[in-house]
Amino acid sequence: MQNTFQSSKMVYALLAIAAVSVLYFVVPGVTIAEETPKTFLTHTGSVIKTTGEVIDPIGYDGEALDFDPDTFMKEFDYGEVSVLKDGTILREFYITARDDQIMEISPGVFYNVWTFNDSVPGPTIRATEGDLVRIHFTNEGSKPHSLHFHGIHKAEMDGVFESIGTGGKFTYEFYAEPVGLHLYHCHVHPVEEHIAHGLYGAYIVDPKEPREPAEEFVFILNGFDTDFDAENNFYAANTIPFYYQHHPIEINVNQNIRAYVVNILEFDAVNNFHLHGTLFHHYPAGTDTVPSGYNDMLTMSQGDRQIIEFNYKYPGLYMFHAHNTEFSEKGWVSSFLVKENTDDPNTQVEYDDIV
Amino acid sequence: MMTSSKPILAISAIAPIVLLVIMIAFLLGPASSFLQFGVVLPEVSIEKIEFVGNEIQATVRNTGPIDVDVVLADVNDRIQPAAIEPDTSLKRFETALVRIPFDWNEGQPYEIGVTINDGTRFAKEVDAAFSALEPNLDLFVFLGMIGFLIGVIPIMIGLLWYPFIKKLGKNTFNFFLAFTMGLLIFLGIDAILESVEISENHLSSIFNGELLIATVVILSFLGLYGMGKQLMKKIELSKLSQGLAISLMIAIGIGFHNLGEGLAVGAAIALGEVALSTFLIIGFATHNTTEGLAIAAPLTKSKAKIMKMIGLGLIAGAPAIFGCWVGGFSFSPFFTLVFLAIGAGAIFQVVLSIFQYMKEKSDLLSNTSLFAGISVGLVIMYLTSVII
Repeated sequence: MQNTFQSSKMVYALLAIAAVSVLYFVVPGVTIAEETPKTFLTHTGSVIKTTGEVIDPIGYDGEALDFDPDTFMKEFDYGEVSVLKDGTILREFYITARDDQIMEISPGVFYNVWTFNDSVPGPTIRATEGDLVRIHFTNEGSKPHSLHFHGIHKAEMDGVFESIGTGGKFTYEFYAEPVGLHLYHCHVHPVEEHIAHGLYGAYIVDPKEPREPAEEFVFILNGFDTDFDAENNFYAANTIPFYYQHHPIEINVNQNIRAYVVNILEFDAVNNFHLHGTLFHHYPAGTDTVPSGYNDMLTMSQGDRQIIEFNYKYPGLYMFHAHNTEFSEKGWVSSFLVKENTDDPNTQVEYDDIV
Repeated sequence: MMTSSKPILAISAIAPIVLLVIMIAFLLGPASSFLQFGVVLPEVSIEKIEFVGNEIQATVRNTGPIDVDVVLADVNDRIQPAAIEPDTSLKRFETALVRIPFDWNEGQPYEIGVTINDGTRFAKEVDAAFSALEPNLDLFVFLGMIGFLIGVIPIMIGLLWYPFIKKLGKNTFNFFLAFTMGLLIFLGIDAILESVEISENHLSSIFNGELLIATVVILSFLGLYGMGKQLMKKIELSKLSQGLAISLMIAIGIGFHNLGEGLAVGAAIALGEVALSTFLIIGFATHNTTEGLAIAAPLTKSKAKIMKMIGLGLIAGAPAIFGCWVGGFSFSPFFTLVFLAIGAGAIFQVVLSIFQYMKEKSDLLSNTSLFAGISVGLVIMYLTSVII
């Protein structure tokens, strides 16, 4: 009798264990739903009614994070300017490489970025043709890094064969030539990894005779492979996916716009740039003063640059984005908000055909 | 020498547990920094994808060792805004429902993905989008009919072999019992394989599906073995025949099995694998006819009433109806797997019962009929599974 008694106790114990473990695995957290669902308008225009949260890559406001695309696109680093004895203008820049920072590259997504001056992309270096450019480079990263500038310079200033180790310093020096929109990036092997993590920036050499006055923007077309499968998870103009879609860049009707477009995208052979509602004159690498075409599309391979010049005839909201729509649906989608602003001296509005 | 007193006995029972608790406390507390090595990788599993109205709904579970935030959803690797309920943060084992507004196309394959806070993306594919079934009376009746078709009717048809088997000689009868064993062994293996498949396709790896199957099969076998012994003891006291007892146990075992199969069929219907479920239904119906035969065979040596046989048929077949309902309305890979495994254990226990029954009834067990029966049973089951 005692045997049966004990065995039935065993069975109960087993059943209890089974029941508890099933409950633990299958119903881990009993949550009580809120009574009133909230309604959200998402960035694609669809409406969600939910008692939960909305996950939509629009919440990026630039404040909580290290990077503000609105500031970046208009920020040019002209360096510390001094004049040499022979009259040459010397521009000195200080660039520090790091590889330990975590940045919220899209709302909620935290990624280890490698940075020049704590920013992805690095600062936009700007000089005038013939200036002497001196860059004091410090590597505060845990890996070797370097600065490789596009342009005309001596081999020992090319930043390829001399990588700078942890804590190391190097001074790059060259004359700013030729005129154009160039690029700089880390050239330490594996280069793909160093670029994909964010070690790049734009380098502009202005002609001695300045270009026509215009509102100027820098757009670095980049992306992030956050799960390291050699495919980008996010694409953007200036790092933050969807940023300018939700923070349209405000310009005026007939205002002359000049954009410096740099494609530094890794993993994808071709990137492109499509502008809505108007066309632009474009200058490959910005080296020529005569535009090579009048178009609304730029097709760019890795490292390609284009200067584009355009203005808008009509006010309104216009998109610009990768016409490779996969990229645009992963964040490389932006917009201009064109306003009618008669006060702006740069604007000469002609109300001839708008009713 | 049993001189130890009760307190000492209690201490000796508890002491190892106390020491274990102290060790765990030490490892989690003072020694935790010492054990911080390696990289902890997060993991999220998408357990279920449903197409509801103009939404794609994915049930995600944190199956990794650390807490995560689900921060993005995508369809075919294109970022889509979505809602997540109850919220974005997922603790270990916690689930959330990701609702993606999306104008999906019926019959088209989709890959649904979610990205977590460290940028890692987890995805699951759906072969063909299919509107999720609305839980209403029509569906209830439909699923019930399916369960009836695959469970009850084929078993009743199989039971119709009863008069034929009854007229057989001893060796032929033994052959049919052994044939039944062959059928059941096949069904048991089939159930295990099916549960392994469900484990691979639908169950998060954290559940250790294969080990769960093994555990449940053995527990079910042992549990029913004990139950069977008790049943036999009671039967010896009552006037019930041993044949009926064996049949009853076969019916119970097959009942568990059909519950699992019902869950699988209901789920196939709910997940929109329509063509598959037509085949599943024909397949199960054919298989289950032989289950009727298995129930009928032990009855032939005793007087069986028609009502009792119908009752046995219902015990074996009706769980399929219940399974279809549960599987169709809320598919749970976990429970489908568990019931398939219980069915497998039950079936193996039944095989053992039949074997023992045959050993008792025949003074000299006819090896020829035994082996021939099992082999023919296995082969026939294999052939029906291939043809259908």
